[in-house]
Amino acid sequence: MDITLDEDQTLLHETALSFAQSALTPKRIRELETTPDGFDTGVWKEMAQMGWAGAPFPEIYGGAEVGPFELGLIVEALGQGALPSPLFSSVIEVGMLLLDAGSEDQKREWLPQIASGDAILTTAITEAGGGLSPQEIRARIEPTGNGFRIDGAKLFVRDAGAAKAIICLARAGNKPDELTLALVRTDAPGITRRRLDAAGGEALWEVRFENVTVDADAIVGQSGQAWPHVARLLLRGAAFKAAELVGIGKASLALTLDYAKTRIQFDKPIGSFQGVQHHCAEMFRDLEVSRLLAWQAAGSLGDGLAGAREVAIAKLKCSRAIPALTRTAHQIHGAIAYYRDYPLELFYHRAIAAQAAYGDAAHHRRVLAAMLTNDLPQFRGQGRHELPVHYF
Amino acid sequence: MEFQLNADEIAFRDELRTFLKRELTLEVFAANRDHAEQGMWSEAFTKAFRRKLGAAGYIGMGWPAEYGGGGRSRIYQAIFWDEMEYHRAPGLDRTVTYVPNAVMAFGSESQKAALLPAMSRGELSWFVGYSEPEAGSDLANVKTKAVEDGDHFVITGQKAFSSDAHMADYGWVAVRTDPNSSRHKGLTMFIVDMKLPGVSISRHATLAGWTHHSVNFDNVRVPRSMMVGEKDQGWKVIMGAIDFERAALASPGLVDYQLDRLLAWSLEDPHGNGRPADDPLVRADLVDLAVEAEGARVMNYWLASLHARGLMPQHETSLTVLVKRETSRLMDSTAMNMLGLHAPLRAGDPHAALAGEVELEYRDHLYFQFAAGGFDITRNVIATRGLGLPR
Repeated sequence: MDITLDEDQTLLHETALSFAQSALTPKRIRELETTPDGFDTGVWKEMAQMGWAGAPFPEIYGGAEVGPFELGLIVEALGQGALPSPLFSSVIEVGMLLLDAGSEDQKREWLPQIASGDAILTTAITEAGGGLSPQEIRARIEPTGNGFRIDGAKLFVRDAGAAKAIICLARAGNKPDELTLALVRTDAPGITRRRLDAAGGEALWEVRFENVTVDADAIVGQSGQAWPHVARLLLRGAAFKAAELVGIGKASLALTLDYAKTRIQFDKPIGSFQGVQHHCAEMFRDLEVSRLLAWQAAGSLGDGLAGAREVAIAKLKCSRAIPALTRTAHQIHGAIAYYRDYPLELFYHRAIAAQAAYGDAAHHRRVLAAMLTNDLPQFRGQGRHELPVHYF
Repeated sequence: MEFQLNADEIAFRDELRTFLKRELTLEVFAANRDHAEQGMWSEAFTKAFRRKLGAAGYIGMGWPAEYGGGGRSRIYQAIFWDEMEYHRAPGLDRTVTYVPNAVMAFGSESQKAALLPAMSRGELSWFVGYSEPEAGSDLANVKTKAVEDGDHFVITGQKAFSSDAHMADYGWVAVRTDPNSSRHKGLTMFIVDMKLPGVSISRHATLAGWTHHSVNFDNVRVPRSMMVGEKDQGWKVIMGAIDFERAALASPGLVDYQLDRLLAWSLEDPHGNGRPADDPLVRADLVDLAVEAEGARVMNYWLASLHARGLMPQHETSLTVLVKRETSRLMDSTAMNMLGLHAPLRAGDPHAALAGEVELEYRDHLYFQFAAGGFDITRNVIATRGLGLPR
C-alpha cells in the first residue's frame, strides 16, 4: 500500500497539466465549442508527439505503454485545463477497444494511425434512449452475400465529425445481448451526421446508418458477442470520466480560492469570512475524496471487469460531488462568473457533460445496488471482513 | 502508487484479525461488560487487554527501534488501528495511539526511559489535559497555573472533558507557567502522576450513558523532571502532539463496522415481511453509505501513506478525520431512518434493532461533532492552514 505518486507519475502529471493549461486560451477553447471538430488539430498532433494519443498502446503499435493509472493522470490534467481533444473517442474508446477485441490486422492498421494523431476514430454505442443496457440497442446488422449491412441511428457519438471511421454497435439477433461491433469508414455511403447542441467541451453527434455496407473483415471481435467488450469500454470510460471530473473540480476550486483571496468586500478579502471558508473546506473535502476514489478506480482497471466496483463508486461520487462543487464555486464568485468571459463557466458546463457520460450517478447506483444483493463480497470490496455477528 | 496491501501487510492484517477474534469472542464480551457504563468493556478488561496488545508487540510495532519498537511503517499502524476499531476492541485510545509519539518527540531522555518501556507493554493509561471549562475550541485560553517552587511546580486549576481520567496513571497536562502571559505564550506541558496528593476526579453523566470526567488540581507538586520540553514553550508541544492525535482518529474501522452491521440487518428477514435489502430505496441508501465508507477508507490509507513516506501531513490529517467522523454520523442517521419503529428502542429491550447499538451510537457519536477539533473548527483549519485563506 502506497497511495502517493512516484517521481515518474508526478512528472507525467505536471507535464500534462502544464501543457493542458497553456496550449490554448480560454477564448480559443470557447470558440472551439462551436466548430465542427470541437478540438484543435494542431494541439492534438502535439499531444500525439508527447505519446498521449497512443498512451495505452504497446510499442509495436506506436504506443507509449502507459498504464491505466497514468492515463488517468493525463485525463485529470486535461480536465483541469479544459483542453478539448479526441482522447476519449480515439484512444480510450476505439484504441483500447481494438486492443481488447480487434484482430491483429485491425490493430496494425488503426492503432499506429491513432497514436500518431493522423486518424481520429470513434465508437457509436448509445441510441435515442441514452441508456447503457444491451436491450436498448436497436440498430441492426445483417449478413449480405459477402459482408454486412447496418441500419439504425446512434446518439451521443463523440467526435463523429472528425472521425475517419466509427466502430458501431448493432443488433445481430433477438437475444438481448446478441450484438456485433463493426468498423465503418465515415465516407461510406449511407452515413449522415449531425452535431448535437450540447453543453460542455465534447463534440457529440447523431449518426445515422442507412443501408451501410461493410466487408466481412470489418467485424471487431466475434459476431453476436460484442457485449462483454462494450461493457469493458463503458467501464474504462466511466473510470476516466471520473478522472476528468477530478480535474474539473481542481480547476474550479483553484479559481474560487484565487477569487476569495483577492476579492475585497467589507474591507476584507471575502475568503476571510467563515461562511466562505467553510464552503471552500467542503469543496476541498469532496474534491479529495473524489480524487482518491478516481485514482483507485483507474488503478484498478485490468483484465475483464476488474475494478467494476471501484469504478462505479468513483463515477457515482464524482458525478454528484463535482457538479455540486462547481455550483458552490459560482455561489462564491457571484455575478462576475455569470459572465461568459470568466473561465469558471467552462468547468461548470464540463462537469454537467462529464457526470452524464458513461453512466450518470443513478446508473452507477444501480450497478452497486445490484452487487449488494447479487454479489455481496464484490459490493463490500476486498472482502476485508465477513459480515459481523458481534453483539447481536 | 499502490492501492492494495502487499503480501506482508495482508499477512500482518490476517494475523491481527485472528488474534482479535480469538481474544474478543461474544462470550468474553458478555463476561466483561460494565453495565453501569452502558455495557462498554470494563476498565479491568480494558487494562488487561492492553497488556496483551503490548505482549503481542502491537503497541510498539511502529515505534523506532531505539525505543524498543518494531520499526514497522505507518501502514502497519494504520492497519492495526483499522482492525482494532472494526472489532470494537477496547483500549485503543491516546495511551497507545499518540501519547507515546508525543513522549518520543518532546520528552526528555529520562522521561522516555522511565515511561516508554512500560507504555510498550501496555501497562500505563493516560488522560490528556488540554480542555478546561473556559478553554474548549479556544485551546490557548488555558487558565490552570503552575508556580515554580524549587525543584517543583505547583499546579492548581481544573481540566474538563477529560476522557478516561478516572483510570489514568498519568496526565499529559498543559498549564500556564507565566502568570503574565496570555494565549499561546507562557504555556508549559507536564507529565503528572495521577496518584499525587491534590489530584481529584469529578464525574459527569453523558448523553451516551457512560461517565465522563474532569480533573481538579489543588496545589499538586510536580517535580521539574516531569516538565516536557522547555518552560513556556508548551504550545509547540501541544501542536505537535495534536498532529499525532488526529492521525489516529482518522481510522475507518468504525465506519466499516457500521456499514457491515447495517448490511447484515438488511439481508435478514426475521418477521417474514421481506428483506430490507430487496427494497430499492433501502438499497440506494446502502449504496450511498458504501461509497462514503470507501471514501473514508482511501483517505485514511492515503494519510498513512504520506506518513510512511516521511511527509508531515497537517491539514490533510484534519480533513481525513472530518471525512471519517462525518461518514460515521451519516451511518448513524441513515440507519436510524431505516430501522423504523425499532430505531429508538434501547439496548436491553428485547425488541431493539441491532441490540440497540445504533440508538446508542446515535447519541454517543455526538462527540464526533465537537471533540478533538469539532466539525466547524476543523473546516476553519482546512480553509486557513490547508487552502491558505486569510484569517
